[in-house]
Amino acid sequence: MDNVQGKPVRKNRRDFLKYLLGAGLLGFAASVFYPIIAYLKPPKQSEVEVTSVSAGKLSELEKDSGKIIRFGNKPVILIRTASGELRALSAVCTHLECTVQYRKDMGLIWCACHNGKYDLNGRNISGPPPRPLDPYRVVVKGDEIFISKMT
Amino acid sequence: MNKIILTILFFVISVALAARDKEHSVVDQCYVCHESLGGTESTLFKQDIHFKKGISCSACHGGDSKSDDMDKAMSKDAGYKGVPKGNEITQACIRCHANSEMMKKYGSKIPTNQFELLKASVHGRLAINGAERIVQCITCHNAHGIVEVDNPASPVYPTNVPKTCAKCHDDPVYMRSYNPALPVDQLQKYRTSVHGMRNAKGDPKPAECASCHGSHDILPVKDTKSKVYLTNIPSICSKCHSNAGYMKQYKIPTDQYEKYSRSVHGIALFQKHDIGAPACNSCHGNHAATPPGITSISEVCGTCHALNAELFSSSPHKKAFDKKKLPECETCHSNHDIITASNKLLGVSTDAVCSKCHKPDDPSKGYMVAKDMRLMIDSLETSEKNDSILIQEAEQKGMEIGEAKFRLRDAHQATLEARTMVHSFNEAKFNEVVDKGLKVTAAVKIEAADAIHEFYFRRIGLGISVAIISFLALVLYLYIKRIEKRKENV
Amino acid sequence: MKTFWENFYNWIDERVKLEDLVKFMGKKYVPVNRHSIWYYFGGVSLFFFIIQVTTGILLLFYYKGSSDLAFESIQFIMSKVKFGWLIRSMHAWAANLLILSAFIHMFSVYFEKAYRKPREITWVTGMLMFFLCLGFGFSGYLLPWNTLSFFATKVGTDIAGAVPFIGEPLKIFIRGGQDVTGATLSRLFGFHVALFPGIFTLLLAIHLILIQRQGISEPLHFQDKPKTEKKTMPFFPNFLLRDLLLWLIVLNILAILAVFFPAELGHKADPFSSAPAGIKPEWYFLFMFQSLKYFPSHILFAEGEVVGILLFGAAGLLWLLVPFWDRKSSRGERNKFVNYLGLFAVIFIIILTILGWWS
Repeated sequence: MDNVQGKPVRKNRRDFLKYLLGAGLLGFAASVFYPIIAYLKPPKQSEVEVTSVSAGKLSELEKDSGKIIRFGNKPVILIRTASGELRALSAVCTHLECTVQYRKDMGLIWCACHNGKYDLNGRNISGPPPRPLDPYRVVVKGDEIFISKMT
Repeated sequence: MNKIILTILFFVISVALAARDKEHSVVDQCYVCHESLGGTESTLFKQDIHFKKGISCSACHGGDSKSDDMDKAMSKDAGYKGVPKGNEITQACIRCHANSEMMKKYGSKIPTNQFELLKASVHGRLAINGAERIVQCITCHNAHGIVEVDNPASPVYPTNVPKTCAKCHDDPVYMRSYNPALPVDQLQKYRTSVHGMRNAKGDPKPAECASCHGSHDILPVKDTKSKVYLTNIPSICSKCHSNAGYMKQYKIPTDQYEKYSRSVHGIALFQKHDIGAPACNSCHGNHAATPPGITSISEVCGTCHALNAELFSSSPHKKAFDKKKLPECETCHSNHDIITASNKLLGVSTDAVCSKCHKPDDPSKGYMVAKDMRLMIDSLETSEKNDSILIQEAEQKGMEIGEAKFRLRDAHQATLEARTMVHSFNEAKFNEVVDKGLKVTAAVKIEAADAIHEFYFRRIGLGISVAIISFLALVLYLYIKRIEKRKENV
Repeated sequence: MKTFWENFYNWIDERVKLEDLVKFMGKKYVPVNRHSIWYYFGGVSLFFFIIQVTTGILLLFYYKGSSDLAFESIQFIMSKVKFGWLIRSMHAWAANLLILSAFIHMFSVYFEKAYRKPREITWVTGMLMFFLCLGFGFSGYLLPWNTLSFFATKVGTDIAGAVPFIGEPLKIFIRGGQDVTGATLSRLFGFHVALFPGIFTLLLAIHLILIQRQGISEPLHFQDKPKTEKKTMPFFPNFLLRDLLLWLIVLNILAILAVFFPAELGHKADPFSSAPAGIKPEWYFLFMFQSLKYFPSHILFAEGEVVGILLFGAAGLLWLLVPFWDRKSSRGERNKFVNYLGLFAVIFIIILTILGWWS
């Protein structure tokens, strides 16, 4: 629009005000489009709910051991049994929500807070836990272990 | 000759009997004859309530009780059945006992649904021979000589019930054929219980088998409708134990059920339907029901609260408690109305329990240790709470704080572990756990504060864009001014 | 540089005859008088609408319209998506400011009697857009699916349910069932992002074309003045540039509000919990909400609330149809009654909104 008005009068004179206007418009466009483009860029976690996480490499997980994986805001315990089977269970103790751990010496899942014990299927077998641990699904793709919610 | 004499005798007796039992229109020829012949059946039957009501042998055995001719009376034509076998026995009983009209005729007010209940009960299943139910009426009530339940001679009179049930239930060979996993020591255990000992002394009031398990309607323990299913136990015990009038002579409190219902265990069982929660029998035992002894309380509680019990048993308190005859867990946590333990229990304030024994002038360190421990755990809990407030604030401001939130779980875990560790009554061990938690809360606090700080940092971005927009607005304003000036000139 | 833009303009001009459009717009004049400031609120409302469309479309990229995920997806937008907080806060603020400026625009048009012949259609489309804005506000409020919005929607639809005869079916229609549930959410979501914008765009097009076609209305007192004394300014570029300048200032204000007072998230709605105390609708419904409270429980044979709702319905209809019953203004005469009525409406709305706010 500036062109339209500028045209009939000062055609060849450098118009300082117009340069400022152009610069302002450019800055304006930048300050509007930068947030929009940043907004549209896919975020790290691409969806609202975590449905699946990578839990590391199978070859790095020893037999007869377990480790805690962060699944959204909740811990999940991934266990490789002595026979090499993979199991994933919620690591939140059903008693008072402590994080459970794998005890090699007992061959059990154990909660340090009140000595709650679960078998490797997550069933509460001793101590105060009232319910079994919720199971998660384990999928192995190549050497990579993935844990996902049971559907 | 003998026969003639016998016949005459028979006749005379019959007439005499007929004269005596005027209300009976007809003489019961079965009884007349069988009594004269002797034998336990007829002797017992004389005491029988059915005999007293004028019911003839033929009511169950068939035949013609009016005929004095043995061949005629006990002929198939007269419907004579002899000794009923298997389910026939029960059929014979329920001809009257399932018929309220008939029962009314005899002036009886007892219920008529026993057979229905029995059929649905665990005893109503087929026996191993596949031909009859496991239990017939006479298994418990006997055949001849049945008396009212409140008659001490009855096999189902409270003091006789344990023996009656034990006829089968303490026979391992017999029980094996139905339920090999079922124990057979119930009677033995029962005799060691307070209930059982009083029962043995002839007191009909204490609980016997039927008080808890029911009589005709006994269901397997795992059946949710069973009177002794886990969630039903407190109410079955309270039937007597909450009845102040009934319990009066025993001089024990009657508020256990009420207390239990509002306890952490009662809430878990009744409201959260947690079938792992203890009911009355978990601590008192069932057949051997007796309050746990003072020195064994920690073991009883320790069946679930293992770590606490273990720590306590190896702590200096164990010895001291035993010496002073203080009941272990109960001294601090109470028994039936245990509420969720909080930090309040610890320390030396008025509502804390440590100061009950540990006074400020205590020669041992107890008073100081209790005070320190409380201080430590309070500071851990406060910093955990503050952290979660910070995290919530950061979240409400739209900051990504998942990592810190995840780590705060460790602090919560440390709080719980510390609460358990209290039972070691060892300050060093306790502080180790608390310190672990405090380290986490400190780190989380920094992270959360950083996130909130980041929120305010957004204002710098705002400043930049506001500056740009304002600049553009200013230039536009000048431009408009110029256009309007030019117009005026034109 | 300049020659490039000139060439570009000429290239377009050759094909679509921009010159005609510029000339057409340049011939239109906006009256200048001491009430000129009110002329800008239509443009400001339009600007807010543009912002709503832009930020709304952006929010659609991440929002999920189901009761399971609605709250979580907004949480996601607020925390995980870059500038998500800004987009959402701007959408929330612009929604409120749009309704505010639409209120002002409507009342200024009303008091200027700019609705008089031949601009009845402009008035009616404007009013319909205003009602739609309220609809946008109501439907959009539920979308975060938090406690506050859940119960506000419950109360709001309950009031709609009190309308005689059509109330109950209307309530079920809005709720998509007997109660406020996930079905209500997807329904209002549909209204908010598809149905309402479609209708609104149509109305807006008619509204804007009519303004261009008929020009800006002159105040009544202009009629008496000789043509030379009528102060005016060209619509293009003067008025339009001033509009743009104001838009920039408004954008600044919006950005500051969004950063310093970001939209709250609250707690996820729990349909089975009891309603929190003192649940209130958004401020633009507050005057109606509050006045319904003052109605006695029974008026003659009808329920007080029903009478109140009917009265508001009648008042709205009266307001909508003002160009058709205010014949005096169309003839160029003063109509004091309309002024008093408008003044009463303004005072009524302000007082009851304040009362509602503080109660």
